[in-house]
Amino acid sequence: MALKLKLHTQPDVPLEVDCISPDRLQSLSNSEISKQTIFHGNRQVNLGDFFDCIGDFDNEIIIEGDCSNIKHIGTAMSFGQITIEGDVGTHTGAVMSGGEINIEGSGADWLGAEMLGGRITVKGDAGHMVGSAYRGSAQGMQGGEIIVHGNVRNEMGHAMRRGLIAVGGNADDFAGVNMLAGTIIVLGDMGIRTGAGMKRGSIICQNIIDILPTFSRSCDYQPSFLRQYYKYLKSMGLTINDSFLDGPFERWCGDSVELNRGEILLYAGK
Amino acid sequence: MSENIKIVKNATCTFCGCVCDDMELHVDLDENRIVKTKKACVLGKAWFLEHTIEKDAHAAMIDGKKVSMEEAIEEAAQTLVKAKFPITYGLSDSTSEAQRQAVAISDIVKGNVDTTSSVCHGPTGMAFQGVGESTSTLGEVKNRADLVIYWGANPAESHPRHFGRYSVTAKGMFTPNGKKDRTVVIVDVRKTKSSPVADINIRPKIGKDFEILWALRALVKGKKVADDIEEQTGISLETLEDLVERMKNCRFGVFFFGMGLTMPRGRHFNTGALLALATDLNEFTHFVAKPLRGHGNVTGADNVVSWQTGYPFSVNFNRGYPRFNPGEFSTVDLLSKGEADAAMIIASDPASNFPKKAIEHLKSIPVISLDTKSTLTSKDAHVAFRVSTYGINTTGTVYRMDDVPITLNPAFDSPFPGDEEVLKGIKKRVQELMLARHNANGARGEAKVAAARIQE
Ligand code: SF4
Repeated sequence: MALKLKLHTQPDVPLEVDCISPDRLQSLSNSEISKQTIFHGNRQVNLGDFFDCIGDFDNEIIIEGDCSNIKHIGTAMSFGQITIEGDVGTHTGAVMSGGEINIEGSGADWLGAEMLGGRITVKGDAGHMVGSAYRGSAQGMQGGEIIVHGNVRNEMGHAMRRGLIAVGGNADDFAGVNMLAGTIIVLGDMGIRTGAGMKRGSIICQNIIDILPTFSRSCDYQPSFLRQYYKYLKSMGLTINDSFLDGPFERWCGDSVELNRGEILLYAGK
Repeated sequence: MSENIKIVKNATCTFCGCVCDDMELHVDLDENRIVKTKKACVLGKAWFLEHTIEKDAHAAMIDGKKVSMEEAIEEAAQTLVKAKFPITYGLSDSTSEAQRQAVAISDIVKGNVDTTSSVCHGPTGMAFQGVGESTSTLGEVKNRADLVIYWGANPAESHPRHFGRYSVTAKGMFTPNGKKDRTVVIVDVRKTKSSPVADINIRPKIGKDFEILWALRALVKGKKVADDIEEQTGISLETLEDLVERMKNCRFGVFFFGMGLTMPRGRHFNTGALLALATDLNEFTHFVAKPLRGHGNVTGADNVVSWQTGYPFSVNFNRGYPRFNPGEFSTVDLLSKGEADAAMIIASDPASNFPKKAIEHLKSIPVISLDTKSTLTSKDAHVAFRVSTYGINTTGTVYRMDDVPITLNPAFDSPFPGDEEVLKGIKKRVQELMLARHNANGARGEAKVAAARIQE
């Protein structure tokens, strides 16, 4: 049976719970888990003050309750699985290097920021800065996958270095800004200034977008690798229109103010 | 008018970021009023002449009732110490000495400190961190700049003496003929009162600053830009190419940018693009970029918060060490998400200019306000202090928009205390309360040392 953490008291100011991660809880008894230190605003309290701890850890942690005011769940985890049954707060899965986080509700800002590996799946929406770099740091996400079924906000994949972000809904402005490498796939609409300052990497869009004046069109083609991606995303539960599978794509390269080795692939089959 | 007139020379106007320090003020000491100003611009004049002391105002109030200073300080300190997520906001219309106390208080109570930068030039601060800053003082601009580009700014109305003192008509060592030695370019989506000053006016489509800056960067690097650039941005390729030539071939170029660049969609990327363009241009000539800061000492707020915490604004101490994360720890976000549970607002009026959701939350939590006048924020405040006005009644240090510190020369005394004095009182009390809490919790080892250090 998995370890279940059930929120019994709603915090009145944000809770920071970086101890909720398989790495930190794996070898602890339930009473020790309840005594783990967390931050309630500026006070140090025990995990047990807010969560009931039921069952035993067998590689999986299930979190119940509305966690939208709870930050840093699964930060820096390296293995195992966390399932969050509702919404969750900021920094979920930041800097994680392995394992899996499943969010049944919606995620928030800095979801999977600077993550190194593993997978995050969100059934609802996510916030700003998904898989991005923290302010002042040179690299965002460096590996792993983030799959969001709903919409995401600005600056998704800011300075991302490797890995995959797939979005079933819409993305707002500056998706893949300053991207160093990696892949972003958006099935819905995009905001403005997609891929500004990108050095390398691929951004794949299904709908017409505004392209910055520093990108240039290189060709139309049918990239075979995309088939594999789409098949994989389909298996992950995203709805993929079959016509994308071998549809023609316009390839735009940029950003010419940087290396000009990045690409934006625009579906041209409509 | 009485006979009892004092003349104050070299007084400083703190109304805008120019911080002109050559004012001459005539003060009527019987009426405690400034009756005449020399050298001040319209805004400065209004700032000085309209300054009066409301004699019947109370220096300290709790829930609208007059109390003694000690009681108010005690209540303020208790409120801050009791809170789990206290925030401090404002600071830009205050002296650097007072700002320093406010940061110390936030540190001691493990709260959050943010300045009005986060709603004006905060994006600039983020862009500095991301891109870097090529900078100079306004003195250098006056003496050397031969190409001055204003982007999204209207100094004729916001900083009236900027043109005359530093950047357009000012005569300097290598610009002996003032305006004749300079080319002035204004990039703005509208025609403004500043437009006639410019040799070249560039009027892009609304919200296309980033695209234009990006295209300029590409052209500076000798890359091609899309053919439909005029269609996209409203500016023809020839105009852009001409501007690029001028920028590359000037001796000393400067960008001054305002909120027309920082506030539209794109925010820190807009400023980041401009700073990156300035950096790119340094391959060809000397080019700097400076924000046109608004409030008197908002630059000081950035400086003080930076040297005390390492970050310019939106700094959180909840975990005992500073963390910087605009978007998470910026006041508007903290209030809109309902995360803060007490607020200390210094010389600012968020209750009148924040988004509705943030104001609603602000009204639901205890607020401590320090202001020189009655504002929407101070009216609803749990503890309200009436303080004297910096620059007119109290001395201190103010940073000009180019990070040059200037000492204030006050004109006359006020019956109200300065911000610094009040904040020092709160700080002392907060220290005692936190120490008592540490001891009650049986602070041991490091915690005890830290607690003792707090008391020093
Ligand atoms: S330019 Fe600014 S600082 Fe100078 S006098 Fe006018 S308002 Fe005051």
